[in-house]
Amino acid sequence: MSPGIDLQGSFIQLLTSLGLPPQLAKVVWIPLPLLLMLIAATVGVLVVVWLERKISAAAQQRVGPEYAGPLGTLQPVADGLKLLFKEDIIPAQADPWLFSIGPALVVVPVFLSYLIIPFGQNLNITDLGLGVFLWIALSSVAPVGLLMSGYSSNNKYSLLGGLRAAAQSISYEIPLALAVLAIVMMSNSLSTVDIVGQQSGYGILGWNIWRQPVGFLIFWVAALAECERLPFDLPEAEEELVAGYQTEYGGMRFALFYLGSYVNLILSALLVAVLYLGGWELPISVDWITSLLGLDPATPWLQVITASLGITMVVLKAYLLVFLAVLLRWTVPRVRIDQLLDLGWKFLLPVALVNLLLTAALKITFPAFFGG
Amino acid sequence: MLKFLKKVGDYATEAAQAAKYIGQGLSVTFDHMQRRPVTVQYPYEKLVPSERYRGRIHFEYDKCIACEVCVRVCPINLPVVDYEYNKAARKKELKSYSIDFGVCIFCGNCVEYCPTNCLSMTEEYELSSYDRHDLNFDNVALGRLPYKVTDDPMVTPLRELAYLPKGAMDPHGVPDSARRAGLRPEEIIEKESAEAPAEVES
Repeated sequence: MSPGIDLQGSFIQLLTSLGLPPQLAKVVWIPLPLLLMLIAATVGVLVVVWLERKISAAAQQRVGPEYAGPLGTLQPVADGLKLLFKEDIIPAQADPWLFSIGPALVVVPVFLSYLIIPFGQNLNITDLGLGVFLWIALSSVAPVGLLMSGYSSNNKYSLLGGLRAAAQSISYEIPLALAVLAIVMMSNSLSTVDIVGQQSGYGILGWNIWRQPVGFLIFWVAALAECERLPFDLPEAEEELVAGYQTEYGGMRFALFYLGSYVNLILSALLVAVLYLGGWELPISVDWITSLLGLDPATPWLQVITASLGITMVVLKAYLLVFLAVLLRWTVPRVRIDQLLDLGWKFLLPVALVNLLLTAALKITFPAFFGG
Repeated sequence: MLKFLKKVGDYATEAAQAAKYIGQGLSVTFDHMQRRPVTVQYPYEKLVPSERYRGRIHFEYDKCIACEVCVRVCPINLPVVDYEYNKAARKKELKSYSIDFGVCIFCGNCVEYCPTNCLSMTEEYELSSYDRHDLNFDNVALGRLPYKVTDDPMVTPLRELAYLPKGAMDPHGVPDSARRAGLRPEEIIEKESAEAPAEVES
């Protein structure tokens, strides 16, 4: 396993060679990846919104956005600008503080979770030891924001939507965490970089999806529920609840919810790619190819190529999953609230527990295959 | 114990079945993605209305005898017929005639009952305006003929499903020369008139 490209090290080295003390060089470096990730996430949302509208249109034999930019690619930008210029309204009877904090509390944890997404061995904001656990912890903050905005809107639909969002998040958090736990047990680490590292070396055969097929399904279903995507979009079911907790929101506050839901979808897809689909690994191991061609993995141009290939792989896998989510949206009808809770507590939870126990048993029996 | 195991087995088969059905559904949705869009891109493409289309009513001023049958058969007595009785000629002289298409339900009763056929249905359906009173057409406006979709250089005319050749489901890309499925109205008349004398003879 080659360490790959190390932008941080090179950048700090460059600055220290220019005469800056190393601590200061690190301080100069820190905001750069953060800013880059923020921009990348926002651009990712624009792409996902466009993709969602185009794929939905194709699935329904429509054309979809067509006139804003080539093939309608600027449509999400136009939507965002429209929301930006709209009047900022707080309903007269609403609680202004909670009403304003709610959307921020939903969006901020989602963006924070991007801290732990690795795009390469050293291509991440930070390689936290806690890794996935941080994401699980942060994703439990969002329902508080949803409940807050639902309650403060002073609207029965909003309140019901907020309560549903909280109930849904709580019941799907547990199978999600259990599915992640099985992965963590196999790789002996919570760090996302280590989890990918444990899947590397054998190309597509080494990916966790072969060792954790059930976990993969549980994780994906629970992640869809966490993102409130269509089979589980009860909190904002427009036929029943107008728009759930978003009913009273408009303008930029609504845009925050909108942005948050799509950023969350990309985040979930990225995490599935990292946890189950080998992260930045190619279907054929890069190490294997380089050794076959007799190249030194430390060659700078090769490092640049492998790094960009790795980023492409992560993004590609994530977008394939997003595509699957959009397809699922137009295939599966929305579940009822009791079916939703039944699925969460009576199906996913026991299956996730059995999956965890099986993984533990297999790990003891075949330590070579299940990470000793 | 055996009962419990059977329950678990049943549950597992049910779950597998559900997964299978979701998979089938996904393949259907996926298949639909590669089909051509069936939607009509409205201001740039328009459907040619059928010959029986009940659109805006056309009125021929000179044919009207101001009998007011149209008013009587109208469900809401909509047409406004203003006439003066000319005692010398002992005839009604029509002064003005109007129909408010903001209120009309396009049932076609007036067209059906008009004794002089001065009313007829056109294929015009684009009746939007900023003021509902703009839709109150007087006899001059009613006498105008609608602009044909096929004559508009800005618009791609598309045929409706019933006017497409046999087997075609999508109007996009069907050549103008392709004949519609079944007989054309004049051919039906021709056939009927060819059969009718034979019936009389027998």
